Amino acid sequence: MEDNRIATHPILAWNRGNPVHVTYDGNEITAYPEETIAMALYAAGVKQYSTSSRFYRPRGMFCAIGKCSSCMMRVDGIPNARTCVLQVRDGMDVETQHGEGKFPDVQAAMKGVKEKKAEVLVIGGGPAGLEASLWAARSGAHVILLDQNPQLGGQLVKQTHKFFGSAKENAGTRGITIGKKLIEEVTAAPNIMVYRGFTAFGWFQGDVCAADQDHAVLFHPRKVIVATGAAEKMLMFRNNDLPGVFGAGAAQTLMNVYGIRPGNKVLMVGAGNVGLIVSYQLMQAGIEVTLVIEGAPRVGGYLVHASKIARNGVRIMTRHTVLEAVGTDHVEAAIIAEVDEKWQPIPGTEQRVECDTICLSAGLKPSTELLEQARLDLAYTGELGGWVAKRNWAMRTSNPDIFAAGDASGIEEASTAMMEGKIAGLQAAYDLGHVDVPVEEQKETRHNLDDLRAGPFGAKICIGLKCVEVLE
Amino acid sequence: MSHFETGIIDITYLREEGFLPSEEREKNGPVAVIECIQEIPCDPCVGACKFDAISMDGINGIPRVDFAKCTGCMSCLKVCPGLAIFIQDKSKAKPSVTVPYEYLPLPVKGGTVTLLGRDGASLGGARVKFVLAADTVSRSSLVSVEFDDPALCEQVRNIKVE
Amino acid sequence: MTREDEKTIACRCEDISVQEITDAIHEGYVDLQSLKRYVKFGLGPCQGKTCILLAAQILARETNRTLDQIMTPTARPPVDPVPLGFFVKGREADDEK
Repeated sequence: MEDNRIATHPILAWNRGNPVHVTYDGNEITAYPEETIAMALYAAGVKQYSTSSRFYRPRGMFCAIGKCSSCMMRVDGIPNARTCVLQVRDGMDVETQHGEGKFPDVQAAMKGVKEKKAEVLVIGGGPAGLEASLWAARSGAHVILLDQNPQLGGQLVKQTHKFFGSAKENAGTRGITIGKKLIEEVTAAPNIMVYRGFTAFGWFQGDVCAADQDHAVLFHPRKVIVATGAAEKMLMFRNNDLPGVFGAGAAQTLMNVYGIRPGNKVLMVGAGNVGLIVSYQLMQAGIEVTLVIEGAPRVGGYLVHASKIARNGVRIMTRHTVLEAVGTDHVEAAIIAEVDEKWQPIPGTEQRVECDTICLSAGLKPSTELLEQARLDLAYTGELGGWVAKRNWAMRTSNPDIFAAGDASGIEEASTAMMEGKIAGLQAAYDLGHVDVPVEEQKETRHNLDDLRAGPFGAKICIGLKCVEVLE
Repeated sequence: MSHFETGIIDITYLREEGFLPSEEREKNGPVAVIECIQEIPCDPCVGACKFDAISMDGINGIPRVDFAKCTGCMSCLKVCPGLAIFIQDKSKAKPSVTVPYEYLPLPVKGGTVTLLGRDGASLGGARVKFVLAADTVSRSSLVSVEFDDPALCEQVRNIKVE
Repeated sequence: MTREDEKTIACRCEDISVQEITDAIHEGYVDLQSLKRYVKFGLGPCQGKTCILLAAQILARETNRTLDQIMTPTARPPVDPVPLGFFVKGREADDEK
């Protein structure tokens, strides 16, 4: 059996534990307990998870963090399971989902919805949600933290690079190390209750309902902090849904969280920080990055990241875009072309790039579905990645009981997300009447946050904030 | 093409803007070269320096090395998130460069590696002078390579282990 | 030379191509809400997490507008796919109530 698991890595080590066995379309495959279904299948060389509903096109994974529908399969007789966030169990039966899928042949889990009070409900356990939980709890509030992934940490768990920012606020430390520390603190805090694998899927008259595959809970929160992160933006080109085309973040999840090779020869589309960092991390995992292309005339990410990959001999081509993914069941090559000032492809400049994986890093879109549903005031702000909630300096939205923090409130860095989470967590506790809130510390954090944004990279963010940081 | 298009930092720019030490200074011993020429919010190198040799105008400033104060101690190399700091030493019989290295396999002392320039092109072979393996998960391993041509000190920015 | 054709997918859940969205805009569906109802993108299990922004981009492009002039459609529960069994059985008595 094919095994795409990485054995050795310069930064990471994986303790996979004892193997379990999963049936995939009638065949037995080996998996490890911490792996999700999609990851275990990918490790075994399975890259197509479903056939699309109308055009019967092959589909593989795209986001790998539970945001899209690309990895949905039939699991233990139930269709439409998001296999990228659902952990394997010994004896699990996984089937490729063809077309619209079959009717479930097991009785659905009719366990009913439990109810639970929450003083502060934090949705999303990434950098913003973890900090928000910690600081609300330190100020005396009782916190319930939900995360739809099997583990906490959000994208910190795959950030093997050292963080930029202020040495006072974790700079120079790798994201994975920061994540580990925050998760330990949250787990140890007596007044934080964590629901892993729980998706918050809707508001019902001020209450939030969340569920995993087997349980559902209706939370009655006094304050809610929405830190749901972001989803990778899709690009429009021919065959953009072919297995082998996925988000750069999905490649990171595969190799840095689960230790699985995303591919052997990668074309990276986008030279922002995500594209550049993931290219570097692919090389660290021993994977060939054949080329990095970027539509803009300049590299969008930090020059130091670009230099790091350039001195490994990887070429960056600005003013280039992808026109087509080539292949029948999986990516075999890509067609790229030069673009003009209006980002239109220039005829005659097409070239074929041999690759088995096309990673898209075309920016992120804030995951604001819950904020939209709460009928908050939102504004489209290109600088922040899309529609984001209007708020005050302390991340409180147009509904005084709802806060937004991290990428869900506008795309920025994990370092700023942590600071926003801290500010929101402290404010929620303060608004609830807790007297031990370190208000001076909150003001200082806000001051440090403004300092980080004072440079040319923060200038764009500041323009966006002018449109949304408008509330009292 | 500009470095903002290719990622390959222009050595002429570094020289003209004073990012490289003088020949005179180089004769006195090892020295840090910081190839961080863009205003980004980052400052760990400033705090890592025990000799107060790195200065920055605010967190978004560009780090500048006071080459007179710098001793080439490598503290800043270990913490730089951009892996943008290198040590050049032209003061010994065998000139050397120390680079941060985060790949496997790590080279071994006395072994031979290929020298790479800012564009990843080969600059010939060299002997590994020493390897400082990462001491914590957040440090980078440092590899020092020695060769004959002192002119290579300003060119070598990476290595390849065959 | 184009980047898009009938094989360029905007909505993976409902298998809706960029071409189908463009055609509907030219038929006169020029606000995102009615465009979504007519073409059916964003109504699948992921509830438009990828395609709503793409559809808004296409709409902005085809009608010479900017994205801030386009209203985001209403988000309804469930915003993520969850088993329907919970809704069938409803609330369950809980000690903590």
